[in-house]
Amino acid sequence: MRWLGAFLVLSGAAFLLGDYHNDVYRKMLLWVTLALGYNFLFGICGQVSFSHFAFYGIGAYSVVILLFQLHVPLPLAILLGVAVCIVVALAVAIPATRLEGFYLALATLALAQLFVVLLNEGGDITGGTGGIANYRLPAMLGLQIRGPWYTGVIVFLLLLTLWVLVKLDRSWFGRACRAVRDNPEAAAAMGIDVARTRVAAFTLTSALAGVAGMVYAFVDNTVNPPIFGLENAFLLLFMVIVGGSGRHAGAVIGAVLLFLLPFWLSPLVGHHHVLVFGVLMLAAILLQPKGLIGLWDQCRHRFSR
Amino acid sequence: MRFLGFLACTLFAGSVFSQNTIKIGVITDRVGVSKPYSEPATEGVVFGADEINRKGGVLGRKIELLIEDDQSRPDISAALARKLIDQDVVFILSVSLSPATQQQQTVTMEAKVPQMTPMNSADYLTTQLQNPYFWQTGPLGSVQGATLLAHARSKNLKRVALITDNSDLGQAIGKAFKGALEKANIQIVADEVVARGATTAMPQMQKIRAANPEAMFLAGVLTAENVLIFRAYKELGVKFPIHSSYNLSVPIYETVAKGLIDGITFVDAYDPDKPEVKAFVAAYRKAMGKDPQNLHGYGYDGIHLIADAIRRAGSTDKEKIREAMQKTDYAGVMGKKGMKYTFPEGKRAGFDPDGMVVRVYEKDKQGRVVYVGQK
Repeated sequence: MRWLGAFLVLSGAAFLLGDYHNDVYRKMLLWVTLALGYNFLFGICGQVSFSHFAFYGIGAYSVVILLFQLHVPLPLAILLGVAVCIVVALAVAIPATRLEGFYLALATLALAQLFVVLLNEGGDITGGTGGIANYRLPAMLGLQIRGPWYTGVIVFLLLLTLWVLVKLDRSWFGRACRAVRDNPEAAAAMGIDVARTRVAAFTLTSALAGVAGMVYAFVDNTVNPPIFGLENAFLLLFMVIVGGSGRHAGAVIGAVLLFLLPFWLSPLVGHHHVLVFGVLMLAAILLQPKGLIGLWDQCRHRFSR
Repeated sequence: MRFLGFLACTLFAGSVFSQNTIKIGVITDRVGVSKPYSEPATEGVVFGADEINRKGGVLGRKIELLIEDDQSRPDISAALARKLIDQDVVFILSVSLSPATQQQQTVTMEAKVPQMTPMNSADYLTTQLQNPYFWQTGPLGSVQGATLLAHARSKNLKRVALITDNSDLGQAIGKAFKGALEKANIQIVADEVVARGATTAMPQMQKIRAANPEAMFLAGVLTAENVLIFRAYKELGVKFPIHSSYNLSVPIYETVAKGLIDGITFVDAYDPDKPEVKAFVAAYRKAMGKDPQNLHGYGYDGIHLIADAIRRAGSTDKEKIREAMQKTDYAGVMGKKGMKYTFPEGKRAGFDPDGMVVRVYEKDKQGRVVYVGQK
């Protein structure tokens, strides 16, 4: 019931907004979705990965290529797109988890860079530097979903992602992930298969990012390499850290704040908003390592006393 | 979760604008990779709009520029195109990255709002989407390569060296040069790459010197790495001429490569001897107290092309402006002497393929034109 209410409120908001605000809103919701998945991987499972955003791109590109170059029907294209994400995630995670955590960061960084190179060099398949455009979401049951209605799809994706992650977090698997993050040796001693837990968390969150990418592909009906550049991987990491890593609400706050910050600041201080961003990052790390959600906890604690 | 929707509803505030101006949206990049190009071009737009307004505006109304910064992010760029359309602009002028311009097109095509880019060089912008509301007046990437090679052919070169960097664009330009040189039966005796972040280009230049080429083609686009190449060239005391891609037309080299670039030839779309350029430089210097760069010319031409189309349309009706724009026949600052921007036979890329020039650095200044066109 609460989920249904959230769905109605969040997607209803899209109908109250103009074209521009709706566009910013739905792009923000996609970032929130990504931040939630990345928070599970980084904040709850303790894996420093830079490929989360690349999987967003893999999902987006694979669904477009499958649909419009290989002419696969939509449901099958979605399934195949998820399969591609899972296969790539396993190919990165299985060898990387045999090594220490630092190497996962390096392997995923390499994957993220390689992905952008592949996009640029992909010739007619990826459209090269210009990417792919001139397509639109196939009609389903004779209906063309667009405008604020498509925001409803994004809200559904966001809530589905959140629901999956909350359920997992509260299950045996979530506790295993936290145990692996805090002390892998102790976790292993308690009978948790550390490598398998890490690979499962990595693959699952990467697949979720891939699904978000598929939804993104139809936001502007174009995909191109700069969208999936490496700097976004760091922005995602910052969102989770500023918001409060390991907390779903933290990821939401971080993503909303950092996504909207340039929109608010740009009219006020021009291009200096980058500077404000840097100062905010430093302040968050130095003064509030638990993120903004930690600040909220402190306030609540103080008032309830 | 509820606060998300609340945030979205309350935090955006609309703006109020006066009714009597003609609003033109400008999407630029103030912080990202395209900033070195976008910033001077935007200054050119602002200067051009002021000039038009001082002379009485367009159709008796003043031009009002609404300038937005897309942070070099194409998805933000598309959102900003929506914002400008919500604010009732009659034209959008795009001076950010090529992919950003492309993503804006997905919006302008649907909203049927005229859009143009005066400087993007990507060849796909007018071919990938059939958007009758979009025009491109910057010289295409393919024209740049062809002009440089036409100049090389005129020198009867037989043996040349090729050097580039490992950036995406540097590799792409290098590949294009290589293909064209091979097609022209010019032998490539050395083919070297300087890595991003290198501290010297000495080994590469020594190999090139050993191969004894008649000339060296430079396809690199990274400023610091190009300076390393020039430094090694000077220190080795080699004498073969350097022919560079369009990248050397960015005036930053006049300061960062001082004393190293005399005699280097490069492709450009700007002829300092052209009457329109002389008038532009004089007016800009008088108003702004400094000399404009070639990049300012793109933005200046862009706003003038739009003003010209609106004048000929006789109204701010978007469909009439579209028709007028397609019939453009306008001589601007950019391009060889006598070049006019036109969109013949329904084409929407308006820079004359024969309109680029090859210029030479004289001391540390971008100097005269030494070759014109690609024939």
